[in-house]
Amino acid sequence: MAHAEHHITPKKTLIQVFVALITLTAITVFAAQMDLGPLNVPIALSIAIVKASLVVVIFMALKHDNRMNAVVFLVGAVFVVVFLVLTLFDTAYRGDLPNTVEGTIMEEQAEQDALRARDPGPTPVPPSQ
Amino acid sequence: MAEASTVTADRPKHLHPHFVSSEQQFDAAKMGMWLFLVTEILLFSGLFVAYTVFRIWYPEVFSHSAELLDWRLGGLNTIVLLASSLTVAMGVHYAQTNERKKLVRALILTICFAAVFMIVKYFEYTGKFAHGVFPGVNFDPHGTAGGHDYAAYNIPFAAQFFSIYFVMTGVHGLHVLIGIGLFSWIVIRANKGHFSSEYYTPVEITGLYWHLVDIIWIFLFPLLYLI
Repeated sequence: MAHAEHHITPKKTLIQVFVALITLTAITVFAAQMDLGPLNVPIALSIAIVKASLVVVIFMALKHDNRMNAVVFLVGAVFVVVFLVLTLFDTAYRGDLPNTVEGTIMEEQAEQDALRARDPGPTPVPPSQ
Repeated sequence: MAEASTVTADRPKHLHPHFVSSEQQFDAAKMGMWLFLVTEILLFSGLFVAYTVFRIWYPEVFSHSAELLDWRLGGLNTIVLLASSLTVAMGVHYAQTNERKKLVRALILTICFAAVFMIVKYFEYTGKFAHGVFPGVNFDPHGTAGGHDYAAYNIPFAAQFFSIYFVMTGVHGLHVLIGIGLFSWIVIRANKGHFSSEYYTPVEITGLYWHLVDIIWIFLFPLLYLI
């Protein structure tokens, strides 16, 4: 009886989870119909995370599984967050250069050179190219 | 070693020689599947990151373009996939309780749900293609359908939204097709009586794969269709 100790999820639990998933789907559709402004995305994502957790914990039976599998899954999830956050540190803070500075880089440099020529300051900065 | 050799006499047929016990073989297969699922999650996370970056850059383009996607079809597919996840979980339950006929029935239902999902996706895709909504450089929306003037959606960066939509749902749909293939194979084996409470590893790990495909859709549906 090698498999005797495997957890068997009762049918009732599985159906309850399914009903919960359908209900959450209805809620997310309903929430999307009425415009909640800046709350739209957080609400939809929170509901999706709850639904995904239900599937992982009950349907995939991670709750009663070898703890090592939960560690494997959570490490994967952590790296998704690392991937997303570190990418956004770049892309979300990129200035749109042509919108912030009028004129070309050459013109800007010429202007800076002119300012330096007018007021070299205490320690003269070597002129840039 | 002497102890191991005495065990070989009553080793079950499904047990490979390099495993000590069925339990060890089952745990190894399952952890292998979880590791594979993590690589799958990271594959999709690349697409989710692309979505997030472009959505943060062009939020109004994304919410405007999403109006062209029919949330009713997406919602129907969500329900269909959730139901297929239920039938897979039921299938594992029936494998564990040695109910072969019910296992076969649950898996056939799963395949049917998966087929419905792909049929809905087919109509969604062809509906978009008919109005010039293609991924990439061929993006050229025109005509009217469902109260939408497609030409009005030909705005800068709408092509990026639809490219991301097609790639994300396309890669996901490919996984659904692979799932249909896997479950067809499992159904044939289940029907032959290959699985029991002693040995149902293929049912279990294919089920895990299927639930992951469901989870991906749980995120795709609100991100692409709703918000």
